[in-house]
Amino acid sequence: MLASHRWLKELSGVDASPDEVAERLTQLGLEVEDVHAHGTGLEHVVVAEVRAAEPVPDKDKLRLVTVFDGQGERKVICGAPNVPEPGGRVVLAEPGAVLPGGFEIAERKVGGVLSSGMLCSETELAIGAGSEGILVLSGGDAGAPGQPVAEALALEDHVFEIGLTPNRPDCLGHAGLARELALAFGAPFRMPSPGFPTRLLSGVERTEGPEELPVIDADERPAADTLTLVDPRPDVPSVIPIRIADPERCPRYAGGVIQGVKVRRSPFWLRYRLHVLGVRAIDAVVDVTNLVLFELGHPIHAFDLAKVRGPEIIVRLAEQGERMATLDGEARAFTADDLMICDAEGPVAVAGVMGGADSEIGEETRDVLIEVAYFDPRSVRRTSRRLGLHTDSSHRFERGVDPHGVPWAMRRAVSLICALADGAASPVARDVYPAPIPERQIPLAPAHVGRLLGDEVSEAECRRALEGIGCAISPGEETGWRVTAPTWRPDLRRPEDLVEEVGRVRGYDAVPTELPRVLPSGRGIAPRLRATRRLREAAADLGLLEAVNFSFVSRAELERARVSTDAVALANPLSEERAVMRTSLLPGLLADVARARRHQAGAVRLFEVARTYHPVPGEALPREPLELAIALAGPRVEHVGRTGELDFYDGKGALVSVLEAAFGAAPETVADDALDEAAPYLHPRRRARVRIGGRDVGVLGEVHPDVGDELDLDARVVYGAVDVEALLEAVRARGVPQASPLPRFPAVGRDLAVVVDEATEAGAVASVLREAGGALLEEVELFDVYRGQGVPDGHKSLAYRIVYRDPDATLTDKRVEKAHRGVVKTARERLGATVRE
Amino acid sequence: MSEADDAVRQFEEGLERLSASHAGAFADAAGEQALREANARLVGGQGELTKLLKLMPKLPKDRRRELGQRANALKQEIQAAFDAKLDQMARAEREAELTGPALDPTLPGRHVRRGRLHPLTRTKHEVMDVLVALGFDVDDAPEIDFASTNFDKLGFPPDHPATDMQDSFFVQRPDGEADLDVVLRTHTTTIQVHQMEKREPPMAVICPGAVYRRDDDATHSPMFAQIDGFAVDEGLTLANLKGVLTAFVRRLFGEEVPVRFRPSYFPFVEPGAELDMGCVFCRAWEGDRERTRACRVCKGTGWMEILGCGMIHPVVFEAVGVDPTRYTGFAFGMGIDRIAMLRHGVSNIRSLYENDARFLAQL
Repeated sequence: MLASHRWLKELSGVDASPDEVAERLTQLGLEVEDVHAHGTGLEHVVVAEVRAAEPVPDKDKLRLVTVFDGQGERKVICGAPNVPEPGGRVVLAEPGAVLPGGFEIAERKVGGVLSSGMLCSETELAIGAGSEGILVLSGGDAGAPGQPVAEALALEDHVFEIGLTPNRPDCLGHAGLARELALAFGAPFRMPSPGFPTRLLSGVERTEGPEELPVIDADERPAADTLTLVDPRPDVPSVIPIRIADPERCPRYAGGVIQGVKVRRSPFWLRYRLHVLGVRAIDAVVDVTNLVLFELGHPIHAFDLAKVRGPEIIVRLAEQGERMATLDGEARAFTADDLMICDAEGPVAVAGVMGGADSEIGEETRDVLIEVAYFDPRSVRRTSRRLGLHTDSSHRFERGVDPHGVPWAMRRAVSLICALADGAASPVARDVYPAPIPERQIPLAPAHVGRLLGDEVSEAECRRALEGIGCAISPGEETGWRVTAPTWRPDLRRPEDLVEEVGRVRGYDAVPTELPRVLPSGRGIAPRLRATRRLREAAADLGLLEAVNFSFVSRAELERARVSTDAVALANPLSEERAVMRTSLLPGLLADVARARRHQAGAVRLFEVARTYHPVPGEALPREPLELAIALAGPRVEHVGRTGELDFYDGKGALVSVLEAAFGAAPETVADDALDEAAPYLHPRRRARVRIGGRDVGVLGEVHPDVGDELDLDARVVYGAVDVEALLEAVRARGVPQASPLPRFPAVGRDLAVVVDEATEAGAVASVLREAGGALLEEVELFDVYRGQGVPDGHKSLAYRIVYRDPDATLTDKRVEKAHRGVVKTARERLGATVRE
Repeated sequence: MSEADDAVRQFEEGLERLSASHAGAFADAAGEQALREANARLVGGQGELTKLLKLMPKLPKDRRRELGQRANALKQEIQAAFDAKLDQMARAEREAELTGPALDPTLPGRHVRRGRLHPLTRTKHEVMDVLVALGFDVDDAPEIDFASTNFDKLGFPPDHPATDMQDSFFVQRPDGEADLDVVLRTHTTTIQVHQMEKREPPMAVICPGAVYRRDDDATHSPMFAQIDGFAVDEGLTLANLKGVLTAFVRRLFGEEVPVRFRPSYFPFVEPGAELDMGCVFCRAWEGDRERTRACRVCKGTGWMEILGCGMIHPVVFEAVGVDPTRYTGFAFGMGIDRIAMLRHGVSNIRSLYENDARFLAQL
């Protein structure tokens, strides 16, 4: 919402600086997000009177104009076609002036003639969009020659950009803002008179019924000699009947007739008022409808009465597929959920959203029908959304205009159009109000205000605030009040809404700042959140960089990464690239790795802790398991220099370290053929299941080289993923590590090399050795894997250090020897291994 | 000459030879290895002294004791010489190490690579730590949730412009049609519904997490991070809300930072408020007007919006089955992205989700 400081000042009577006004509005919850100055920097730009104009030799389009600037005459060259006759007032930029945009005015020769200034257009002064030539001042606009133009035309203004919350439709007009402003400054606020038309149509029959809206407020009582009666134009109705077919969607509709208008340009003050609010001036009739919209916040519409076919206006739902061209020139089709304003032959406007092109006001318009209505907010919103047509009008109707503001808006519009376009108004407009919207009654115990705010608030304070916003207070049940909320505040429904109003008007600063007593719940951080925090911190401590990827990916990405495509799809994605929810963290991390590789990042070491999403048959909501994933790729760097590419074992080292650091639980990695199915994205020969205490918690492996090729990855990616819930369960099942006494007797070590088939796993060999060593064997540690000279093809030599210890005695050589011989024997027999001691 | 005399002669000559030569042999050794070899040649298992001692049985019995003692003395002498030489060598080596060429201190260290938490995570952790210390539990809620939880139970009327503030993603049903009952949550405020539906007051809970709205520009990301919090108990007031959030801001940003509350609107609170804190970039409260006027972060206002808050609306209590005549509560919510961006001077929200190591490693 844009609001003019000058206009607010007129309406509220508050004469405060723009900064002060902005501050107070913000404090009231009407946040001023920005302030723009208008009409500044126009020094040396003055009103001037044309004295003479003569042609410039050899220059067809130029004229030498003599103007009087209040002090003396100047001659200026002007190329505009609309220089007025002598006596006309124009705007002169004198030498020394700097026009908006930085154009400096100086004396200079044009066509061999000295020009001592420049006659300006609205565009050149940035005070309007009129481009038909220079600005010619007329009638009441004209100041005295020599008067600074900013003063003569009241140009100086500040426009507030207010970020209004959707609950405050009353502030979508200057009058509502002025009411708030007056309240903030403790000034009384009175809605201004709407004015009245001085020319009325004669011979209009009065019924004095409820559907008659007199265009002159009974309180105005203009003197009889100020009114002129005008005969209606032949065959033009003075009153248009209105039929509302759907009173739920259109509780109130008023139509007023003005005849004999001259559709011409609005006076400068009106054009300028609209200009600073960012609205283009069109003609006096349309400009008045816009002015009323910005003044009261109530959108109104003007039809060319000649284009309204048949005897009446009908407010009804569209026929499915019914068509009409809107004012913006678009031919549109409507649905049976769209409320339309129709004549005998079809729609002439989309209710509350936009008028129809065919009944638009134009130069030839002579008679006008003014519509002032109240439409159901939800109906307008649905239509506006469906059409993708968000207008100043729909914006206000959606939020709820004041249904009781209809008469004021009608009177205002009629009186201004009559004044500015020479029309004559029907003394009564039609006002059909089949579904009256009552004022809301809200019970309030004044003590409730203080209880909710946490402060002592007197009844007087409550009363002042509530009456200030337009509420009426009468005694209610017991000690309470019955508060009648004004109809321009549809947001006031419950006592709490009134508490806010009191708090707001008093200022939230007045409320004390007090910590509550919070009883510890003993719950703290939910276990799985605590777990993710530990995992993240461990991963970062161990050299991995945390990634945060979007949860949505494209279906193609899931396919390329060979992860599950049984995904939650979005009904209204922003793009195909983000159309489904990920089923794995792999696609996101692969994209991150690919990007990093494109930037020649060297080694990439990433982790992510986030959810994946899996539809559950028969359930509306999917599963959202939390996962930890790591992705490594690129060269392995050890001090200075590379030692090959990161591979499975780097991944294993990273994953083991993270889980150990986070939970003290070192996982095992074991071969598992089920991974063909479960993890087809991993290299079938370089992958493993991740287990803790025999429970599956995740997978680890090098990403399948074909997947890498699909993504044009120039490096192998090592990927590991752990399910956080499974991990927590495994950790819980494993229990807390138990202490055992430290050994008091020395250990004895023996080395053993076992030559086995390539397919034999080192872990299996170690298990056999451990078992064979019996009670004395304390530890088996692999310290070398060797292939080459001395080891047959297809074999490897695994070297173990075996540590023996008797917890209760010093070991003798003999006992060690015996145990070790047993180990060697078993290794030969059970593993078929060649053993080298 | 008897065999015994011959042996005595050989033995004595051997001892003299050894006695005369060991010093030279050690002195000539060019390193520890050579020294140990020389020592082995003299007194090792195959060494000269060992060979001499093999003559012992051939020595006349009356001389054996005396010659044996001489051999032993010589052995000790050689050992001492060896030890001394070894010591000297070690010393020389240490001297050489201490005075020789220095290492290149400019080579990179051999340290564990630098890992980092994402700036969003770090900000989230800090916010959580402060709120946990103020007595809040932490829990989470589904990201894909019922529209009734995300909107209706939180007081968003259907077809109301308030939902414009949170344009949502809907999911597809298996038949491909839009399921208007299920959305990607547009705010972590859903935690209120989840907690109040399963627990009895009093309670105070915060919920960090990802949320989704259909916006995509330099300041809006379709996915972003929020933390919501709320407390429900008998007698909680707006003053309590101010107390908690003032403490929160001060602990997160500094005790000197001013805060202000101004009225605002969210469908699920009434009264509703927006919390502004003094701009921590121009430190407007210090009174340097020029600095504040030039501040691009607060655009010269001296204030930064940080979170929305208010007293829980009775419609929420009614929707989740909490007695609004007995309990009151307050709630607040903030964007983690925004706070992280403010803290780190990040101008485009998208860079938070691109995972560019060059970007992340700066922060």
